[in-house]
Amino acid sequence: MPSNGRFMVGLVGVATVVTYLIWTGVSDTMVYYLTPSELLARVDEDPSFREVGVKVSGEVVPGSYREGEGTLVHHFSIVDTEDGETTIDITYQGILPDTFDDNPAMLTEAIVEGRFDADGVFQATTLLTKCGSRYEAAPESLHPDGELQQELPADHAG
Amino acid sequence: MNVLGELALWTALPVAAWGMVLGFLGGRQNRGDMVRSAERAVYATFGLTILASLGVIDTFLNDRFEYWYVASYSSRDLATFYKISGLWAGQRGSLLFWLLLLALFSSIAVWSNSRKNREFMPNVVGTLMTVQTFFLVVLLFADVNPFEQLGFTPVDGNGLNPQLQNYWMTIHPPTLYLGFTAFSIPFAFGVSALLTGRLDSRWITVTRKWTLLSWFFLSNGIVFGMRWAYEELGWGGYWFWDPVENASLLPWLTATAFLHSIQIQENRGMLKIWNMGLVLMTFLLTIFATFLTRSGLIESVHTFAQELKIAYIFLSFMFFIAATGTILILYRLPKLRSESRIESFISRESAFLFNNLVLLAATFAVMWGTLLPLISEGFMGQEISVGPPFFNRVNLPIGLFLLFLMGVGPVIAWRKATPKNLKKNFLGPVIVAAVVGVVLWAMGIRHGMALTTFITSTFVMSIIVVEFWKGTRARSRIEGSGVLPAFWHLVTRNRRRWGGYIVHVGIVMIFTAFAGAPWNVDVEQTLDPGDVAEITSPFGHTYRLTYEGMSTNINDREQNLAWQAVALMTVEKDGRRVGTLSPEKRQYLNRNGNPNATEVGIRSSVAEDLYVILADVDLEGVVGRNDPTAQQAHFRFMVKPLVGFIWGGIMVLSLGGLIGLWPSAEKVRSASTSAPSSGPAVAAAGD
Repeated sequence: MPSNGRFMVGLVGVATVVTYLIWTGVSDTMVYYLTPSELLARVDEDPSFREVGVKVSGEVVPGSYREGEGTLVHHFSIVDTEDGETTIDITYQGILPDTFDDNPAMLTEAIVEGRFDADGVFQATTLLTKCGSRYEAAPESLHPDGELQQELPADHAG
Repeated sequence: MNVLGELALWTALPVAAWGMVLGFLGGRQNRGDMVRSAERAVYATFGLTILASLGVIDTFLNDRFEYWYVASYSSRDLATFYKISGLWAGQRGSLLFWLLLLALFSSIAVWSNSRKNREFMPNVVGTLMTVQTFFLVVLLFADVNPFEQLGFTPVDGNGLNPQLQNYWMTIHPPTLYLGFTAFSIPFAFGVSALLTGRLDSRWITVTRKWTLLSWFFLSNGIVFGMRWAYEELGWGGYWFWDPVENASLLPWLTATAFLHSIQIQENRGMLKIWNMGLVLMTFLLTIFATFLTRSGLIESVHTFAQELKIAYIFLSFMFFIAATGTILILYRLPKLRSESRIESFISRESAFLFNNLVLLAATFAVMWGTLLPLISEGFMGQEISVGPPFFNRVNLPIGLFLLFLMGVGPVIAWRKATPKNLKKNFLGPVIVAAVVGVVLWAMGIRHGMALTTFITSTFVMSIIVVEFWKGTRARSRIEGSGVLPAFWHLVTRNRRRWGGYIVHVGIVMIFTAFAGAPWNVDVEQTLDPGDVAEITSPFGHTYRLTYEGMSTNINDREQNLAWQAVALMTVEKDGRRVGTLSPEKRQYLNRNGNPNATEVGIRSSVAEDLYVILADVDLEGVVGRNDPTAQQAHFRFMVKPLVGFIWGGIMVLSLGGLIGLWPSAEKVRSASTSAPSSGPAVAAAGD
């Protein structure tokens, strides 16, 4: 079956090239995806891990947001969603996503990518937010006789 | 209406199950009465699903906030348009909407095949009703019933997320869902072919238009989502390789492969197992995509919910379908043998095969990258994730190779291309592409991937243009008519072929648009009123944007806004005033859910878009203290070359798709003959 043989050559060829692309792609661009407590544990174990770029996700600590010096510098903290106590301070330079909020009612989840600086502050290069109530709002929080809350301009420009 | 709707949903379950059982049983025992009853169950389920959907819409229109779903996605002040589209705003309604579309397509399939393809229909009905039964079980028993009540009546609902209040976002999910559900029909015919053993290409021929229809909707749905991201998310991009985006891309990739590989089976009787595998895989991926967007399996910037129960139900169903499908294919293996073999690497069969391999490779790469956090967690106890750099790196070369094949595939000879054939078809286009390459190089374009894309695009376009030219000239000679009538007849005589070429033109345009990305301009500037930002675009235009000032709007109940800050900018292009842009920031009077929204200012031209984001504004100063010095604002200016080619490309693609989908005279004739392979339909099938 010469033709089937040739077909196999093509198949193996494509598979090899794609495997190579995926393999090198993953090893060159992958980042560890950790929770705050996992990250701190890793850093405790091996201080050089501070230098490794990682992705961390946690809940934005209510009320932790403040504007930094300079344009579009933002400081906030995230807390581990599992243990509810380990926090990491984050500095992010860039435009805040619309869904970013440190309002306690919002339960915003932030996913940041970056690394620690010398002062132990996590310098985020990317920030993704997922609002806990963004799509699946919890109507249980509405009260049967609830008044409409009037919202004033937020205390930070978001 | 709401009570009736809920009742209809419950009634639909036994009716659908009835259709499923009688469909399969009637097919097995060859009982026409059972099959007819099953077919009536298809119509009945459709009717009941309409009632249920109307019931949900009714709860929205009447502000019935005692319903969980309405309270979560609507509010009194929401525009009627968005109340109606509330049917697919959230997980619960979306699942019902999915079912509604599937029921609609199932009914059309049953109705249009009421006199033909009877040997397939019992199992087709059985399969389609199995899927519908599954969705009904999910709706009724997986805590996602859209008619679930809260137990109290809130004064008002949570309102719809402002980011979802956008035209493109309203039509994006239904379009994708149309694509997903339409693919159930080829899948059902494939299953039926396996069950009945009628394994020639008949099942493919009769579902060809369904496949194209599904692909048409999937393509549009994906691009509508890109458009939404571009306009609404406010970061200047249209694709982020987000899990949810990837989920919609996966079935598109395999459906594209299927659309091509079935032509090999129709023409050469090859790839029978392959096609069965592809139809099964594509169907599974449509379910997977529905599942991924409607469960919180993988974090994503737009996932909807986090419910494990529904995840298990979906995964079990997918496993069941995958296992059953694989067993059926294995069982029919002896009957799925190829009728011919590939004779040469340099042939149309081979080009199509490579197209398929490469599309599957892309599918695998995208899936791997998307599921990597899950896979690495499972196998290494360590979550690893990859982002856009990974996907771009892997998919760019794959995409380029596909683009190249898109030029070669349609014109290279079947079986074995002779040097003469190659020279005749490719010499001209290769020369044109090379010349364009040299010119672009001379103009200073050095970006390797982009340059290769432009050269390959030129190659493909020249081939298509030459084909159209040759075809038109030949027709004009035969008919003795002018060029335009000849062109018209050329396209209408063989819609599938020429429609396909037009689709390819659309794809080339979209690829060209992607290749413009390396020249994106992105600058940030802080401006006071009266300040000017000057931006030079890659096409050499100069934009002068004057920041005229900020206007605010507070507590606008009518528009549901807590506040709105609009920056007014006048735009001059090459010294000529061309208009104004008004990027803004808003906060909605949302009681729950994200209230913030960024509205970007976009000025589009054919070659490039000017894209302005109001990045930061001192709202307290502007609104609270009414301080004129606080009008200082921070802007992000971008120029996006060629981005308009995406939106133009999808229109061209859709035109080609519609040409292919349009019912043709040949089709009508072939429908009346029982053996289409010997009728005039052969001409329609073409190559």
